[in-house]
Amino acid sequence: MVDAIIVASSVQEVKESLSAVSSLGDVEVLFYGKNTDNAAEVAKLGVKVYVLKSQHPGALFNAVKKLYDEKKPKVIVGYGTKNNRDALSRLAGTYDLPMATDVIGVEFKDDHIIYKRGFLSERAIATEKIPYPAIILVNAKVFEPVQREGSGNIEEITIEEDSVKLLEIKPKQLSGINLEDAEIIVGVGRGFKKKEDLELAFKLAELLGGQVGASRPIAADYKWLPEDAWIGISGKRVAPKLYIAVGISGAPQHMAGVNNSKIIVAINKDKSAPIFKLADYGVVADLYQFLPVLIKKLEEKKGK
Amino acid sequence: MGDIVVLVKPSLNPDMTRSKPDGTVDLDAIPLKLDDIDANALEAAKELKNTLGGKIIALLLLPWGPVQKRTRELKMVTQEALARGADEAYIVSDEKLLPGDPIITATVLSNAIKKYAPNASLVLVAEASIDQTTGQIAGRVAAKLGLPFISYARKITINGDKIVAERDVEDHIEVMEASLPAVVSVTQEINEPRPPTLLQIRRAGKKPQKTLSAADVEPIPERKKEPVEYKILTVSRKQIIIEGDTLEEIAEKLIEALEKEGVL
Repeated sequence: MVDAIIVASSVQEVKESLSAVSSLGDVEVLFYGKNTDNAAEVAKLGVKVYVLKSQHPGALFNAVKKLYDEKKPKVIVGYGTKNNRDALSRLAGTYDLPMATDVIGVEFKDDHIIYKRGFLSERAIATEKIPYPAIILVNAKVFEPVQREGSGNIEEITIEEDSVKLLEIKPKQLSGINLEDAEIIVGVGRGFKKKEDLELAFKLAELLGGQVGASRPIAADYKWLPEDAWIGISGKRVAPKLYIAVGISGAPQHMAGVNNSKIIVAINKDKSAPIFKLADYGVVADLYQFLPVLIKKLEEKKGK
Repeated sequence: MGDIVVLVKPSLNPDMTRSKPDGTVDLDAIPLKLDDIDANALEAAKELKNTLGGKIIALLLLPWGPVQKRTRELKMVTQEALARGADEAYIVSDEKLLPGDPIITATVLSNAIKKYAPNASLVLVAEASIDQTTGQIAGRVAAKLGLPFISYARKITINGDKIVAERDVEDHIEVMEASLPAVVSVTQEINEPRPPTLLQIRRAGKKPQKTLSAADVEPIPERKKEPVEYKILTVSRKQIIIEGDTLEEIAEKLIEALEKEGVL
């Protein structure tokens, strides 16, 4: 009897999902997409692994449905990646299963599940209750990844795609920066008037050994930075020890992506900007005047 | 060819979040608005309407009660959807369907599409809403209608009886092709919605709209999600404003503070 099936496309997703369902019994994993070469690493966590070497969303849906039909798990769990949401929302619609997304805490009781998630664009936390069987999609970096040694079987499954054709895969222009792992992040927002001015932020980040991230307008609308630099609800969620928000007003959609930072610094010329209430340290100043001074002071310190 | 159905959600406006003295969310006090990405879906429908040759049908479901209190807000959201290009609107509003549960919402919307938009060749849905942000309605509706599904489209073109969409996945774009009719969820990147003109707003009032009750869209499945508590998120940051006579002084104080925190 399988209690939970994890649907994942990376080893990290499996480790964190395993942690989320640690109070349940037998767990199996559907491992799909482009990282399936790492299936052995997943099996070493002591779980049975079904490998689907496809990233076609229809194939993933068919695979998830097949496993669900065969195993009748109590819970299907994974990250809220776009492919997971696509396939699992269809499974939810097929069987009228409850589906909780963006989950930041979950308790598996005898006859129901209680979970917590962001609500009202992260201005509130919702606690809700659903019966089994259910789909639970967790936020990244919320559950401590499990570390354990074991050995599980690997079984490759082949499955039909649905009627939707994948014609072409096009790369996105990406920076390749792994913001999730950065210890210091300088976040840039609409306070910057033109793309060239971001140089100031890059210089600051370089001095601090950090990376540059951005709010939605900079990364998604103006495209001054690649999309993988976008921090927020629909972008990345980061948890550096230091987040320096420069020219960022503090919209909840952005702050939801940085709330787990240890220390938040805000630099903004508008003293009524909401960011100052959401930061540990605030500097009310024009970034164009303050950043050069801050950079100079840091250089002096480094020079010593 | 066919009609375009746009699912429009009257969502709680997160910018107007209200709390009760005990720190819980005062749901009834938060006004509804036409959801942000629904404006993109309506704009996309306008662009595709001529190619598909049919009309644009906005389909709304009231997810937050009480019905009596929400009547005026629901009317305003409907008007806005019509002003933004919908030719007619169906509004499902019934105390029995409250509060919204994705299982009920998706079933009701699917039933309504079958019954009131039988000629739909495309169903457009926002990738997620601003209040719940669960992003599951589009996939559920596709499954219920048994239609091909493309999620996270940031570009759509119609090619005869096929739709080609650029699907925006985290680190790449997938160009997908589906036969019509299909269900497609769209992202905010798909277009820049134009605000309705005064003339469009005035005309909206004359467009046909029909309010439906639960009885019109049966069968209704069993509710599975129960709210336990909605609590306002309180962030406890230090909120220290660093002041000084010169920017140099402020910079020095900031560096000192960050060193003390052990983050530099």
